[in-house]
Amino acid sequence: MKRINRLWMIALAASLALLALSACGGDDDQQQAAAGGAESRGDTIALIQERDMLKCGVTDTLPGFGFRNPDGSYSGFDVEFCKALAAAVLDDPDKVEYVAASSSARFELLAAGQVDVLVRVTTITAERDGGRGVDFAQTTFYDGQGFVVHDDSPIRAAEDMDGATICVAAGTTTEQNLDDFFNERGLTYTPLPGEGSEPQDQFVARRCDVFTSDKSGLAARIAALPNPEDYRFLPLTISKEPLAPGVRDYDSDWKDVVNWVVYGLINAEELGVDSGNLTAWASDPPNTAVARLLGVPYDGGEIADLGLAVDPQFIQRALRAVGNYGEIYERTVGQLGIEREGTLNALYTEGGILYAPPYR
Amino acid sequence: MAVQAPQAPAPLPPPQETPLRYQRGFRNLALQAVYVGITAFVIAYVVLQLGGREYGFGFLNQPAAFDVGNQWLTNVDGTTNSRFTMYLVGVWSTIRVVLLAMALSTLLGILIGVARLSSNWLLSRLAMLFVEIFRNAPLFVQIVLWYAIVLYGFPTIQNVINIGDFAFLSNRGFAIPWPVPDGGFWGGPDWLVVIWVAALIGAGAAARRLRRRRQLAERETGQVRHPNRWAFGLFAAVALVSFLLLGMPVSIDRPIVEGTSYAEGMGVLPEFSALLLGLTIYTAAFVAEIVRGSIQALPRGQTEAASAIGLTGYQRLTLVVLPQALRQMIPSMTNQYLNVSKNSSLASGVSYYDLFFVANIIQNKIGHAVEVFLLITVTYMLMSFLISVVMNYVNRRVTLHSV
Repeated sequence: MKRINRLWMIALAASLALLALSACGGDDDQQQAAAGGAESRGDTIALIQERDMLKCGVTDTLPGFGFRNPDGSYSGFDVEFCKALAAAVLDDPDKVEYVAASSSARFELLAAGQVDVLVRVTTITAERDGGRGVDFAQTTFYDGQGFVVHDDSPIRAAEDMDGATICVAAGTTTEQNLDDFFNERGLTYTPLPGEGSEPQDQFVARRCDVFTSDKSGLAARIAALPNPEDYRFLPLTISKEPLAPGVRDYDSDWKDVVNWVVYGLINAEELGVDSGNLTAWASDPPNTAVARLLGVPYDGGEIADLGLAVDPQFIQRALRAVGNYGEIYERTVGQLGIEREGTLNALYTEGGILYAPPYR
Repeated sequence: MAVQAPQAPAPLPPPQETPLRYQRGFRNLALQAVYVGITAFVIAYVVLQLGGREYGFGFLNQPAAFDVGNQWLTNVDGTTNSRFTMYLVGVWSTIRVVLLAMALSTLLGILIGVARLSSNWLLSRLAMLFVEIFRNAPLFVQIVLWYAIVLYGFPTIQNVINIGDFAFLSNRGFAIPWPVPDGGFWGGPDWLVVIWVAALIGAGAAARRLRRRRQLAERETGQVRHPNRWAFGLFAAVALVSFLLLGMPVSIDRPIVEGTSYAEGMGVLPEFSALLLGLTIYTAAFVAEIVRGSIQALPRGQTEAASAIGLTGYQRLTLVVLPQALRQMIPSMTNQYLNVSKNSSLASGVSYYDLFFVANIIQNKIGHAVEVFLLITVTYMLMSFLISVVMNYVNRRVTLHSV
């Protein structure tokens, strides 16, 4: 009798557990998608629309790219793209929940569904693309790794850095480039890694001799210091750092939207659409290319719906929220004195490599 | 009051089947079933969630492609060494700081604990202040604070404090002279130092035996035989004579400032110092309380008897109180040591490459978070296990066995 009782109980427990499991499995294709289950195809767009809020992973300590202001608001180049995406999907650039993602936790945040998109000065690499559950969209900023020293430092070239202590953000591609760069030249160095603004603080306190990071990020940080003229850039760029938004693997609808928002903002600049003429051109587009881009009929024709998983006017909404690529640049990184002209980040028509596929 | 005649007990009601829900056996079973159910559910859920990824530890054998600072006695780099080697270097960094913090916090804790019970008002109040401040602030805050003090409070290496060309101090840490193996004045090979160390170990053992013998003689004859002086004398004599015979196989390396870093000697990085200081002081505050508790738990008669036979205050402490009190505190000390080993993972807050920090770098580059954190967990568990084993051994050795 007792024995039967026990067996029965175990059977009951097992079936209870199974029941709970299946109940859980039923209601949460979405959860599964959010958690990045490898077999399931994600649907981040539906998730954003249902939540009526875009969760955007940004940095909060890098002036010009992602910075949390004293009043709690966020600003910067990356933040503008978050706004553009929110405008494109939800028709409201303010429906963004900014999540401050540390450099070492960012991919886990994305994979775990804590953010919908990562716009966090993140370099595309094969290793990340292949192994991290992250898929990269179109590059928004072409960067390269550089070095800053104190102005009175004897370091003038790569060879002078032999034996130096170097401040670097922990868990970044810059840490890896550094290792390749020094080992290839047979130079030694001591890394001093830190999170957030720690490397900058250590560098300013002269705990290290050299501060390395993406050049734009370095320029942004140095420009924000009390005495920017006390620091000097070395004439070295040691890496390619294409910074791009990241989305979860297996969600091409969402990736398409992110891609085309970036392409759209670049195309808008190329076509001459900006905040100033947007309203006028939306009601009376000068040509079919502009009409298609803004999702409006041209000369009494039809609205071109190109089949993306959002409203055909999503680029127009994004433009209304933040302006075209050039305007975003000028408003954010441009303010820190990071020149655009003659760099990779100029339009291809102006000698850069910003070349967006045609919107048609 | 009249005593009532015992009444016949009322007849018991006919035995009734207790309802199932009140039966103890059933309740136990039901609780177990719920427990098993929840556990099975959690495990199944986790396994399902983790299902889609690929697992394995192969990634640990690939080249690291990052470098590790604060190395001591190792020389690895990211091009030629694997990720696992880097991890082991991190483990070694953890072990260094944990062992030192355990030793220093024990010493400091005993001092503070004894000071708290001192009859000197100022001393006992200072000790209390120490305990209350450092026990009640979060350890992470303390570590970061020490680091900030070193980083901003000390001069830069360009303005290094030079203590007689003997030691240096700046916000890149301090550098002190350090012994290094040397062929000696006979120009012998570097490994002569190994012979000398062997001689030292032998001398130590001999000195121990001599001390024991003289202690026993002292006890039997009642005459003073100075066991400590004799033992130390023997050790010092052997050490000195063998040192000279081998041609002085160790020389002292004085530090120098080379460019913007220390060379020669021993450079102690501020990250290491901040972590060690934080761990030591925080743990010492707890150790002090354990020491105080153990001393106060001693029967008052022990101290009184010691005073009665005319021992001085110092003798009372070292011969009567501490030997008994320290014995009692070992189980509590084991807990503190386990805490030190685990708290050392706060190293990443001050850029110190401990095992947790290195593992995090690996995880951040390549993913495999589940495997990496499994590895970290197992490493800390192994460390804790070793500490427990050693401390249990010590505990068995010093426990008083009833005769």
